[in-house]
Amino acid sequence: MVAEIAGMSLVGRPIAGGPRGVRRAPDLADNAVLVARELLSPTVARLVVRPDAGIGAFVAGQYLALGVRIDDRVVQRPYSTASDPATADAHEFLVRRVPDGALTPRLWALPIGTRVRLGTPKGAFSLVADDRRPHLFVATGTGLAPFLGMLRTLARRPNPPRTILVHGAARMEDLVCGDEIAALAAGGLPLLYVPTVSRPDDPANGGWRGRTGRAETVLASVLRSVNLPPNGLAAFLCGNPGMVAAAEIALLAGGVAPGDIHAERYWTAPGDPSAAGPTLVAGQA
Amino acid sequence: MAYVIAAPCIDHLDQACVAVCPVDCISHDPAADRKAYIDPEGCIECGACESACPQGAIMLDRRLPPAWAAFAEIDRGWWIDPEWARDAVDAVDTQAA
Repeated sequence: MVAEIAGMSLVGRPIAGGPRGVRRAPDLADNAVLVARELLSPTVARLVVRPDAGIGAFVAGQYLALGVRIDDRVVQRPYSTASDPATADAHEFLVRRVPDGALTPRLWALPIGTRVRLGTPKGAFSLVADDRRPHLFVATGTGLAPFLGMLRTLARRPNPPRTILVHGAARMEDLVCGDEIAALAAGGLPLLYVPTVSRPDDPANGGWRGRTGRAETVLASVLRSVNLPPNGLAAFLCGNPGMVAAAEIALLAGGVAPGDIHAERYWTAPGDPSAAGPTLVAGQA
Repeated sequence: MAYVIAAPCIDHLDQACVAVCPVDCISHDPAADRKAYIDPEGCIECGACESACPQGAIMLDRRLPPAWAAFAEIDRGWWIDPEWARDAVDAVDTQAA
């Protein structure tokens, strides 16, 4: 018997024709509830999603799929959790609204109390236990999310390491969660917070008096200003793939060992010119 | 468009891809399958599986070399008719041997 599959001749197997039957969809039952949504800026919201079965085990920095049933299909996107595993009973996600996206406009309009689908926590972007070295966190946009979880985790340690958080955004309004970050510092976490806007000439940034430039371009001066030896750092990068790539190059050039650089490149919708590189998780659209 | 799991996965089934897939669209029956299968309707093309696979078995369907082109249809078909997909995997594997 001869069968054809995508033009290949498969000899001697009873597979004439194509698959027969009804498509079995993966088990993506709703298993969580949207319990809160807070607009942090015109384009960024914090969503709080509580799993039916409890928060379960996860580590700060991991990502989960958040899905909504649309036309009998579950549309999912991965998002980093901003929650602290030790204290949270729900996952917090920072979601940037993509006007033409398949999911985020729905997420912004979803009534509180709507049932949603939440995947299992995944990924290895996480703190190293008992690492006492200074920690450098570099984020763009909603790439801040995993660092909120990590900072909250570090703040609970009896002797937390020195930490530096560089957060970049095109518009100052998207430098979200500044008050929370300041509160962590006020609570005892030795934290230097460095927000920076990449488009200082944008009218939306009128009145901005902080640092300017893309996150990766301010790294060298930040590290000089705090007098940290590059070979004694644990560096974490998260957000736009272009930033992550450029920051990796900058840190390596500055003497940070490759094994001390941990990166999470955010996924962007297929066809989005801002996407680059093959390993992209926790995203947008 | 979607990622596809091709011939190098057969009889290896490392499953690193399952561990990283953010949308849980990779599956197989451990008792019956020789490879894992990606649901093309669930895949969001994030590429996490491609990077995780130690066999280099995963790639975008539009980048499949001709010798592995059948695996796009095999992955799609498994979610409809697993027996058909298993027979197809056996046939492709036999042909390769």
